[in-house]
Amino acid sequence: MLRSAAGACALVIACGGGGIGEAAAATGTAHTVVIEAVKYEPETVTVKRGETVAWVNKDPFPHTVTAKGAFDSREIAAGKTWKFTPRKAGEYAYICTLHPTMFGRAYRMRTVT
Amino acid sequence: MNSFKPMKSCAVALATGLLLMTSGVFAQAAPATAGPNDAQIAHIVVTANQVDIDAGKLAESKGSKADVKAFGKMMVTDHTGVNKEATALVEKLKVKPEDNPTSESLKKGGEDNLKNLKALSDGAFDKAYIDHEVAYHQQVIDAMDKTLVPNAKNTELKALLVKVRPAFVAHLDHAKQLQASQGK
Ligand SMILES: [Cu+2]
Repeated sequence: MLRSAAGACALVIACGGGGIGEAAAATGTAHTVVIEAVKYEPETVTVKRGETVAWVNKDPFPHTVTAKGAFDSREIAAGKTWKFTPRKAGEYAYICTLHPTMFGRAYRMRTVT
Repeated sequence: MNSFKPMKSCAVALATGLLLMTSGVFAQAAPATAGPNDAQIAHIVVTANQVDIDAGKLAESKGSKADVKAFGKMMVTDHTGVNKEATALVEKLKVKPEDNPTSESLKKGGEDNLKNLKALSDGAFDKAYIDHEVAYHQQVIDAMDKTLVPNAKNTELKALLVKVRPAFVAHLDHAKQLQASQGK
């Protein structure tokens, strides 16, 4: 259940990226960010292009992982995982749109080549 | 019952009354000194969440500004989630939540708030709802810090309280932001 939902999410993102053959490049999860007690751990996740980051929501209510203009998980339900595979190098600050005060810290995904 | 003579039943009633009064005093004195037990803490947690869910539902439907409605909806979602987790833990631990004076006063306060809110509309509703949310979350956080966490005996129950506390803080901060932006 959990796995298939996350899989569907990853697929949607891969399609959203628009690149043909990108889905094949998405190898297993290389990095995990845990969302718990209304914060993301670690605050900054550094990944290589093409590696997958999984955000695991361990809170009993939804959160989002949203970098305006770059990626948006929409609501990640309690206990669910959302995966994203960055295609471009760069640093993305992200927030939870549901809990504006999670902005308190600077959460980032840094992508290196 | 009918076989009792008036005088006798009167005496019985009096004796029962005295007994109830005495035990009532003890019942109240005990938690004040000893603090709530885990069964009572569980009841307080569930009640505290439910009170905010009920207010959130009202704000979702009766709120005027979009951000106030959205906040109400989030209160319903988040506190329902917390209660699901709390209920699952309580079942796992085989603790039967036990009603207590703190839960009673939370419930009463919640009912009074709903009554007050139902009489208001538009901007006055939004303001009263958000003001109450600020005060309420602060009150619950204080109760967690001063009473619930220090008195929780079971480590899993204590861990749950510690884990959900930041959510209450996030809600408080969010409500304060809305409060500051009222009328803008
Ligand atoms: Cu959030």
